[in-house]
Formats: sequence, structure tokens, C-alpha cells
Amino acid sequence: MMPRAKHGQPPLTRRGLLTMIGMSAGGTAMYQAMSSLGFARDSGFSPVKLGAAPRGASVLVLGAGIAGMVAAFELRDAGYRVQVLEYNARPGGRNWTLRGGDRYTELGGFMQECRFDPGLYINPGPWRLPHHHRGMLGYCRRLGVQLEPFIQTNYNAYVHASRAFGGRPQRYRTVRADFHGHVAELLAKVTHAGRLDEAVTAEDRERLLESLREWGALERDYTYRKGATSADRRGWVRDPGGGLSGEPVPSEPIALADIARSGLWAGLIPGDTYDMQPSIFQPVGGMGRVGEAFGRELGALIRYQARVVDIDQDERGVRVTYEDLALGGARQTAAADWCVCTIPLSVLGQIPMKVGGAMQAAIAACPYAAAVKVGLQFKRRFWEEDEEIYGGISYTDLPITVIGYPMYDYFSRGKGVLLGAYCWAGAAAEFTALPPEQRVARAVEQGSQIHPQYRQEFEHGVAVAWHRVPSNLGCFALWTEDSRQRHYRDLCEFDGRIVLAGEHASHLPAWQEGALLSGLDAIERLHRRALATGAAA
Amino acid sequence: MKLLWPTFTCCVALGLAVQARADSSGGQPVPTRFAAAGKALYESICQGCHMPDARGATGAGSYPALAGDAALASADFAVITLLQGRRNMPSFGDAAGADLFAMPPRLSDEQIAAVINYVRTNFGNRFKGTVTPAQVAAMRKALSGR
Repeated sequence: MMPRAKHGQPPLTRRGLLTMIGMSAGGTAMYQAMSSLGFARDSGFSPVKLGAAPRGASVLVLGAGIAGMVAAFELRDAGYRVQVLEYNARPGGRNWTLRGGDRYTELGGFMQECRFDPGLYINPGPWRLPHHHRGMLGYCRRLGVQLEPFIQTNYNAYVHASRAFGGRPQRYRTVRADFHGHVAELLAKVTHAGRLDEAVTAEDRERLLESLREWGALERDYTYRKGATSADRRGWVRDPGGGLSGEPVPSEPIALADIARSGLWAGLIPGDTYDMQPSIFQPVGGMGRVGEAFGRELGALIRYQARVVDIDQDERGVRVTYEDLALGGARQTAAADWCVCTIPLSVLGQIPMKVGGAMQAAIAACPYAAAVKVGLQFKRRFWEEDEEIYGGISYTDLPITVIGYPMYDYFSRGKGVLLGAYCWAGAAAEFTALPPEQRVARAVEQGSQIHPQYRQEFEHGVAVAWHRVPSNLGCFALWTEDSRQRHYRDLCEFDGRIVLAGEHASHLPAWQEGALLSGLDAIERLHRRALATGAAA
Repeated sequence: MKLLWPTFTCCVALGLAVQARADSSGGQPVPTRFAAAGKALYESICQGCHMPDARGATGAGSYPALAGDAALASADFAVITLLQGRRNMPSFGDAAGADLFAMPPRLSDEQIAAVINYVRTNFGNRFKGTVTPAQVAAMRKALSGR
């Protein structure tokens, strides 16, 4: 619904709004606001146009994840002779979807068989494609990967604090409405009391009050309370209906102190952040469709099950030794003029590589974040049938942190798969240390505190702990301000004929877009060098 | 990846921080629920990488075995490794700057001593000497003073 201007006050002018934001939040917020109003621009993604490769020039790409495959794709199109070495038996890297019939063996030999029904899946790695991740969306378009909406914010999903409200989850809608309503009431009180007179002119004061009343769903006396006005935001005990039985019953707001004490307000923030604002997309059939499409496109250029054990270079080229796991680990070599290495630093740090001390130090500077995802299959879609939750995410302070609802097959009478856990930090360390079936059991136990139907409806699940993923040994590179300051440039600069790429070599760590932009940045520099150096030596 | 990192101030880090925050709930620190006993600590954290039998594992890269690891003859080596991390092994002793969402748990002096003593005397290891919390505290101080 559009906001209504009830009392004939002109709305805040854009300049007036910017001035207010600048006063209260400082220049950064003002710049962000300007960006959102279209005054400032960020650089973003632009398609690469390399031009023709020097005759006969060759590139060896290590890793068939997003960074490596986008690099190989563009280099091949420019005329380079390209070969890709990949440890796994599939393309994609962390771009990965687990579906029924898939087998996955993690480090330590723990094997899981995913038994999801046809069409159901989880993405152990990334699951969102924000609308401003232009690179990822652009390649999806080029590769014919069909996209559908990813629902980040669902007003009917839950926010949950295990020690608040008797452990009962609260609807996002009610917490949002009540938090905004109470804050608006407080601000209106302060404004009426003249406490903001130094910050706003008398004219803007009236406009501010009007906006607070509209924004917070306040009554005419600037209070936030039970009634039709607040129910228009937070919902009703009985929704408006028809005829004689349809009289609506408004609902009772939660007190501000209860929201503050519970910490539930924090569940309002994710969907407001730049990377999680609508629109967001997901590939139809799972995020792995992107990697699969790149893999099809590159075809025989990718050699799978190739475990890199040595990376050597001299002034003429690069020589990589690898074990062919399909041939019992037989040692092979591959050579090229240049190398784009996208192997995660957690693995690369263990591979002998002939590069200087600066790059070596940079590689050693990043530990990897721990993360665990658990997918759970249920006999029926009770979240839809019983609770009217269609897609989106519930947030909880339990170690599972989220319950992600499937954003496809709505209203299906079949089974459904939830993202039953997305653990981080200490919780992820603990989940990682458990055998997979115990991770699943723990996710079911915790999730049943939010959805009691779990106990009746659960069938089976799969759990992926990123420190146990054989190709990765961790989720994503953890930079600190200090380590980035000291090492980031050394990580990204060419060392002889070798350049690194991946999310770790980006300012968007953990995002596929970071990996993709890093891959493009690397090959643009590679191409300039190749042109300057001439063709193959 | 959300993420509240007091020491991450550049735009890049903030972007990560925001992302991390998005999937945490409530922005509350993950409580340190780890029991003080070395065995419990090993089984709730260390074996995630070093494996239940402490023999490590190998995929594209490896996690080192702690069983029979000659480096553990030096208790200081073990203390420094836990406090500072080593390559892709994160620090478990970092206080300032550790983001509670993405970073590993911060272990106390008692916890670090307990888990080191456990590893040095189990899995076939028979290393002499016991690490005390006071030794860990002293090393923590020495390292932070550098």
C-alpha cells in the first residue's frame, strides 16, 4: 500500500531528507542515501572485452569454481588455449547443490547419501543472487540459467529467542510493526518536548511528526497502541471478514521493553542490508545450476579429479604437477604460458608453489570461516499448510541460526526440504566435530522448538560442514582489517606468470560475485601482460 | 555472514560484516559452551579437522595428525599454535578483534591448557610435562606484548 498523506502537509523534500540524514548519521549514511536516490553511482560489473589473444598463447586455470570458470570462459572466447584442473568430479566448487541420489563423502570418510525426493534440494554453499550482483546475473542470462525470486524477508516467518516469550517464536510482522511503532512514539514525544529543536527547523518538525505518525502507525495523539491503525501493520486476532460474522478484532502490541530485552529486533536487520534487499534471485533447481552450466560450456577443457601437488614457473611459462585421482593418483603435468590459480588459500597454502615471499605470506594470512548447513526433508509442507509461511527465512538465537523455507514448489502436496541449520563460528565448530547424522539430529531437535511439527514429520537429512569438504577445508577467507591492509595487494598482484583469483581475492568475501569479479580482474591484467609479452615463448 | 567486528573497519570488511549479521540472529555472541575438560574440548572442536582419532585427513589439502606429532614435544609450540593460529588453523586465543559470528570460539587459559594436556597424553602420545593455565596466560601476555 502506498503511504497516505493525511493532513495536507507537503512531504519532506528530497534535499530536506538528505539534510536530516546527514545531520543525524554523518556523511557515510548521507552518501548511502544519495546512492539509493540515484545521485551517486557505484562502479559495479561491466562485461569484459579482452580482444584477441596473442597467437598460440595458453593459460592453465586451477579450480573449476566460479572464479576459475568465468576466467576460462572469457579466455577461451578471446582465443587463448585453456585448460582447467579441478579436484572434484564436478564443476562449481562452492557453487553446489545436493539433490536426491547424490553421495557426498567428507574428510574423515563420513559418507552421506542424499535421499531427497525428486526436485528437492539444498545449497550447501551460496544461495542468494542479489539484484546488484550484476556479474552473476549477467552470466546466468548468457548461460541460460533460469532464475526465480529468492525470498529473504517473509513478514509471516518467525524471529525467535529461546529465552523470550516462553520460547514461542514471534511473527516478523508483529515485531517489526511494534518496534517501529514504539520508536516512532518515543521520537514523537521527544520532538513534541522540543528536544530536537536544534536539529530540525520548525517547518521540518511538523513534517517529521507527520512522517513518524505514518511510518510508525501511530494514532492521532501520536501513541502506538492496540487498534485498527496498528493492526493494519501487525495483523489482527481475527482478520476482517464478510457479512455479519466478519467484524475484525485488532491484536495487542508487544511492549518495547520486551522486544529490546528479547533481542528480537535484530531479526529485522538482515533483509535491510544492501546484499539482502529485494530483489534477490536463485537458479531454478538449485544454485548448482550455475556451475553446471559453466561446466557444460567448458566441456572437455576441464580435467576433473586432478589434485594439484606442485606449481612451478620460470620466465617462459608455468608447469603444474597433479595427481589424476581417476587413475589411482598417477602424476601428470600440465604446462602453459600463464596460470590463473583459484585454489582456496586453505589448500593452496599447502601446495609447493614457486612464488615470492610476499605472495606466500599473503596466502598464509587467512584462516577460513567455519560454516555448516543442514537440509531436512519432511513428509509434508507444514510451514505452508499450518503456518502460512511461503518461502523466506526464520531467524533464531539457537545454534542453527535460521530455518530457510523452500522458495519453489509452493502449495505442493508433496514433501518439502527445509534449510534446517546454517551455523557459524563456535556453533559451526561444534557441528563440524559431530558425525553428520548427529548434526542432522541436533538441527531437528533445535528446529522443533520453533516448529513442533518437526517431531512428527521429519524423514531424513544431510549436513555439510565446510571444514570437512575435501576440496575446500573451510568456508571462506577471513580477512581482518589488519591482514587485508598488509597482504591483500600482494595476494592479488601477479607473481611472474601466476595470478590468484577467487572470493579470497575480492572485496566481496564469501560471495560468488566476489569470486567472479576477481576472476575477471585477473584475466584483464593477464591479457594486458600477454599482449605486452607477445605470444608463447 | 554477519558479523560485528570491532576491528574490521574498511568498507570491504563492513560488507562482510553486514552479510554475516544477516544470518545470525539477534547479533548476540555465541556463548562459549565448551566444558573445561580437555576431552570434551577436543571432541567438540578439534576433531572437526583433526578427526576423532587425531590422525588428520587428506583431500585437496590436509589436516595434520596430532597422534604421533613430534612437534607436540614442545608444549610451547602447542600453546602458541592455539593462541595465534597457524596458517589455515585459526587462533583460538584471540580476544580483541575476534568476530564472534565468523571467528572460532575464544578459549580461556584453563581450556587451552586442558586440551593441550589431553592431546599430548592421548592418541598414543606420551609427551612429558603438563601445561598450566598460568603458562598459557604468560604466553598470551608475551605474544600480545610483541
